Amino acid sequence: MQQSIWRGIKLVFCKELTIGMRFKAAWAAMFMFALTTLACVSMAMQGGAVEPRLLAALLWVSLFFAAMAGADRVFADEDTAGTLLTLHIFGPAQAVLLGKMLYTLFLLVLLALFITPLFLVLMDVAVAAPLVLLGTVLLGCFGIAAAGTLIAALTTGASVHSGLFSILMLPIILPVFLPAISLTAGAFGGGAVTVSYLGGMALYDFILLVGASILFDYLWYED
Amino acid sequence: MITIKFEAVTQSFYGRTIFQDINAKLRSGTITAVTGQNGSGKSTLLKLAAHFMLPAAGRVSVVEDARELRREELRNRLAMVTPELRFYPRLTARENLAFLLGLRGIELTETKFQALLARVGLRDQAVATTVTGEFSTGMRQRLKLAALLAAEADIWLLDEPGANLDAAGRELVLREARQAADEGRLVLWATNDEREEAAADAAIHLAGH
Repeated sequence: MQQSIWRGIKLVFCKELTIGMRFKAAWAAMFMFALTTLACVSMAMQGGAVEPRLLAALLWVSLFFAAMAGADRVFADEDTAGTLLTLHIFGPAQAVLLGKMLYTLFLLVLLALFITPLFLVLMDVAVAAPLVLLGTVLLGCFGIAAAGTLIAALTTGASVHSGLFSILMLPIILPVFLPAISLTAGAFGGGAVTVSYLGGMALYDFILLVGASILFDYLWYED
Repeated sequence: MITIKFEAVTQSFYGRTIFQDINAKLRSGTITAVTGQNGSGKSTLLKLAAHFMLPAAGRVSVVEDARELRREELRNRLAMVTPELRFYPRLTARENLAFLLGLRGIELTETKFQALLARVGLRDQAVATTVTGEFSTGMRQRLKLAALLAAEADIWLLDEPGANLDAAGRELVLREARQAADEGRLVLWATNDEREEAAADAAIHLAGH
């Protein structure tokens, strides 16, 4: 990859981070959603024993919906601020896509680092395979970031942007979700861990990344 | 030598024809004014030149030494000042320019930044550290000119560049556009200002439909 693209990715990432730190609405929405969900689930369960598979599903539902509260904003915020044209004029497509994807991934990993330990404590879960859990969470976050960034770009400008974003995300992210829930359940001690699922998630993430990269060029230049 | 060619270009939106059968050949080193009443399609013509939209009929091409530039190549060669161009309101003038120019591989040093601000008449020290969301409309317009000047672009597309500027600002636009054309840049500007129109080497008049 050309050095200029790396530089562009870094610039877009730093710009997103600077704006995100000055205007914390997206961060607050994501983290408050996660906190509220966890609090509700924890209080509803009242310390009762829950199946590992159900626990895994609850963790991923919390992560996914918290991510939905912020991941769709990467392009919508540009549209609202009217800066999309500016970015179109100055920004090379790949630097814009990958910079924004990296920022979304950064946010999601932060979110996962916040949610997962809290979830484990509140739900009193013992982790049998911590490395599997870590790998699953990272690959899951990558998948959500890759798909989320592309779909956010596709749905920008649509009058029903948020609804469309969620509808389009679901089928694309299911191949990440299903093995993630299964692996997480395994990591929680709910049966054997099928390690090949991790390979499958990594492969699907890679396909999402390459697909997004190819599609985005058309979206950016041929619009 | 860059040439923008409009060949029998027609544009329409929702069945309404904005302009039709426009033929023009614009060359580096010249200023071409696009004139016409409001709604006649001046801004649209600039967007067509930038390949931000496709014409309903006809062809728009940007050619350099007999080779047509691809869209992504063209994007790197042009700079625009339009009312739709916005800066990031939560970034300072310096952060905005450093980010945008950085995407083009241009480093914005402090000396260069200060020189740019002085050149476009934004000398106030607070300008550098104030987020652009707090700028007045005129200050934003001057900052757009700073981005234009610093972008080192071969094609300047200017949509009402003197809008929201005082007399000195309008004079600045005229002077910089002339200098850019003299340096070999292609300048295309949409205007309703008689002085800007008079300063151009050629004009495309859109009659409106």
